[in-house]
Amino acid sequence: MINDSGGVFETTTGRGWGVFSVELLIESIIFGVLLGCFYCAVSIGLSVAFGLIDVPHIAHPAFLVLAAYCVYILNDTWGIDPLLAGVLITPLFFLFGIVVYRLYHAMFEKRGSDAAVRGIAFFFGVAFIIEVLIILQFGVDQRSVTAPYIGKSWRILEMRIPIRQIVAFVVAVSLTLALTLYLSRTFTGRAIRAVAQDEGALRLLGADPIRIKTWAFGLATAILGIAGALLIVVAPVEPTLDRAYIGRTFCVVVMAGLGSMSGTLVAAIILGVAESVVLTSFGASWAPAISFSLLLAVLAVRPQGLFGR
Amino acid sequence: MALELKIAGVDAGYGPVKALQGVTLEVRAGETVVLLGTNGNGKSTLMKVITGQVRPTRGTVTLVIDGQSHDLTQLPTDAIVDLGVALVPEGRRLFPKLTVEENLTLGAFRKAARAAIAGNLDFAYESFPVLKERRRQLAGTMSGGQQQMLAIARAMMSSPKLLLVDEPSVGLSPLLVAQTITAIGELKQRLGLTVLMAEQNFHQAVRIADRGYVIVHGEIALADASVAQLRDNSIVKELYLGGVA
Repeated sequence: MINDSGGVFETTTGRGWGVFSVELLIESIIFGVLLGCFYCAVSIGLSVAFGLIDVPHIAHPAFLVLAAYCVYILNDTWGIDPLLAGVLITPLFFLFGIVVYRLYHAMFEKRGSDAAVRGIAFFFGVAFIIEVLIILQFGVDQRSVTAPYIGKSWRILEMRIPIRQIVAFVVAVSLTLALTLYLSRTFTGRAIRAVAQDEGALRLLGADPIRIKTWAFGLATAILGIAGALLIVVAPVEPTLDRAYIGRTFCVVVMAGLGSMSGTLVAAIILGVAESVVLTSFGASWAPAISFSLLLAVLAVRPQGLFGR
Repeated sequence: MALELKIAGVDAGYGPVKALQGVTLEVRAGETVVLLGTNGNGKSTLMKVITGQVRPTRGTVTLVIDGQSHDLTQLPTDAIVDLGVALVPEGRRLFPKLTVEENLTLGAFRKAARAAIAGNLDFAYESFPVLKERRRQLAGTMSGGQQQMLAIARAMMSSPKLLLVDEPSVGLSPLLVAQTITAIGELKQRLGLTVLMAEQNFHQAVRIADRGYVIVHGEIALADASVAQLRDNSIVKELYLGGVA
């Protein structure tokens, strides 16, 4: 049966790759679903910024880590609950997103049709600057937050599920639901989905495409406040953690089918389960290769992504 | 509703390319005016000038509503939409990956239009039953004729008083062209619209026209002509009716 540490690599019976027990498989799938929900929360902003309005937002994971450090400051200085801190910084991140988009727009989008290609360099630079600023301020050591639910877990049957993973699950599902409703039921939301399809047509209907995209990018960045809180709730953060998330977040967003929020949740869960199962059966060194193998496999079968239209 | 569109001496173009020269044209309340011309003669550019997408280098574009004049060359597109002008653009310009109903609701994006959205949606579905049947379908997966209906219905969602239609016949079979033109004529009758339609299909366009203009190489070659005058005109005969009679 499952024991605390050794169970994960209990691969001694020698029956091909399926060498671990059914219980272990079930457990790794459940953990994978929870991990996937966390991936959804950190990717869904990118689903708006890259998936819907075509901004090549390579700096998305760097913004995420920045948000985590902001949450750390609030938690460390005033003892504010990390999730509450995440909510508190959303207005700040909204404004931050607006400024960054306006810069990107003025420097690239306005000047030509290959903005997306040249914009990659811009966002790569932004990501690098953020990394360096965090290192200058906090050093390279890991930082973590404290909250009553961190470190506790629920015991269900033989499994111990950390409560922080359940928090990630609840937040991810709520975010996906809220964004789906917002994008389909409100005028601005529908305009956000329309803007990349035909800016000129949207302008003819009396909407200002640049304002719509600015709002969308602000929203995508604001969500990162909450996602950053989850990041530091789930595990300690360090300044270059964003690099581990570039592959994962873009994988999720492209696999989902650009711009689909429910697709983002499904794709993130698929990635989470795949990582978790591979980690359990083959070991941790394989995990980083998972996201792109999965992405390539999905795109080979469905070039438009799982939920792409 | 007193409404009048006055275009006087308009020059416009793209960089060094002059698309319009000295264009003067008038549309009065309740009229259907057709702007006839073959491809590349400046019809679409004029539509863009009226909707504030292209700024004229010379001349005036004035919309008079209930005695009040609005200089359209100084207004942004959204303000022009608010005044009650809607354009059905050339090539339809739908959002292909949004549903029919989502396309329609985006037609009512302006604050002023949102109040009347329920009524306008009902009206659109009543006028074009096929759109109601397919309201959950992605716009890009519909046939060309259905897409043209949707483009017209979407423009109607902002409760326009002046409807501009740019080349509704492009890419449609003759039967669908006839249906589209008929639909525009019916909408105009039911709602008391004022319509300016750019079109190259002479026979279809004049079916619903009160008056017409012919544009050749960016200049008005025949101004303010009745349908009878249009049929008799030598330029029209040359361009549309198979040479000089």
